[in-house]
This record gives sequence, structure tokens and C-alpha cells, in this order.
Amino acid sequence: MHNRIKELRARHDLSQQELARLVGVRRETIVFLEKGKYNPSLRLAHDIAKTFGLPIEEVFLFDDEAAKKRVTV
Amino acid sequence: MKKTIVGFVISALVLAALALWALKGHISGNIQEIVMAGIVLVLVGFAIYLGVSRVRSRLNREPAEDELSRKVMTRASSLAYYISIYFWLFIMYVSDKTSLEAHSLVGGGILGMAVIFLLCWLGVKAFGMKNA
Repeated sequence: MHNRIKELRARHDLSQQELARLVGVRRETIVFLEKGKYNPSLRLAHDIAKTFGLPIEEVFLFDDEAAKKRVTV
Repeated sequence: MKKTIVGFVISALVLAALALWALKGHISGNIQEIVMAGIVLVLVGFAIYLGVSRVRSRLNREPAEDELSRKVMTRASSLAYYISIYFWLFIMYVSDKTSLEAHSLVGGGILGMAVIFLLCWLGVKAFGMKNA
């Protein structure tokens, strides 16, 4: 799963700290999300998408190839 | 905040016990004692680091704990438990081969478990938990 948090944060002129405060997590969590080292819970994904005024699927992009591999194995 | 204070108090108590241990002359330059004291200091340092990061989060008006920090703790704990089973098997093997006293082996085992947890925590932090 990829995400567009960094891009959207820059577009909305938000710092990592500000976004963290808006969604109620630590700044470190935003850093992990942007680096792709952590997949958020559905609640957090929803809150982040809501902050940017977008549906979840436009912020978090699922890797279809990886999903197909999981199904075929 | 209560958790943070408890963490600092326990760290202070451990440091005080270590200082007493050293003052009573139990750390006599024996390599085993120096290693044990070193490990205790590293673990206390880790506890203080966790406490300070919680305080810093509070000062930045962030939650002291969030879903990532809880998941990192859970993942590190389960991994450390799994590895510790093999570690205790190793301790049992060593106890048969050496003439170490039981309390030294148990003390070493407990300290070893704490070190394993610290290493697992650092590993989970470094590599992330993308597929958790």
C-alpha cells in the first residue's frame, strides 16, 4: 500500500506536527506513514483522508499486484 | 502521566540499588559483574528514554501513546517472548556445561530477556511494521 500523505500535506501547507495534532497521533506516526513503514488502522486512515477532504482510496493507494499475489499463493 | 512517573521512579530505584551494590564493593573488577552492571545501565537508559519521549510528546500537545507506539510495543513483546524461549533453552544448555550458580543463571536469564526486548523494540522501530 502506498500513500500520498506527504504530497497532500505539502499541498495543504501542513507540517507533520500539525497533521499529527489534527488526527490525534504522535509526529513519529506521520513520519512512519510517509516512509511507508507502517500501515494505519482504518480509523486513522479515515481521519487522515477526512483532514484532506478526500476519500480514503485517494489518499491510500492499494498495490493490486501484491494483492493478486497474496490471493494466488 | 502516571505511567511516566512510575517509569522514572523505578529507574531511580534501580540506579540507587546499582550504586549501593557498587559502594558495598560487589563490583570488584570481575568481568561478569561489570557486564551485568553495564546491561542494567543500558536498560535504565532505555526506560529513561521512553519516559523522556512521553514527556516531550505531552509538551508538544501530542498523545503520550498512540496506535503506532502501542503496536510497536506489542510486536516487540511478542517477538521477544518467542526469542526468549530459545534463550532459556540456551541457558539450560549452558547450566549443564558450566559450574555457574543457579542465581547467576537466573539473573543472567532475566537480564538477557530484557536485552532481547530492547533489541526487538529497536528492530521493529528500524524496520517498521508495514504488514502488521
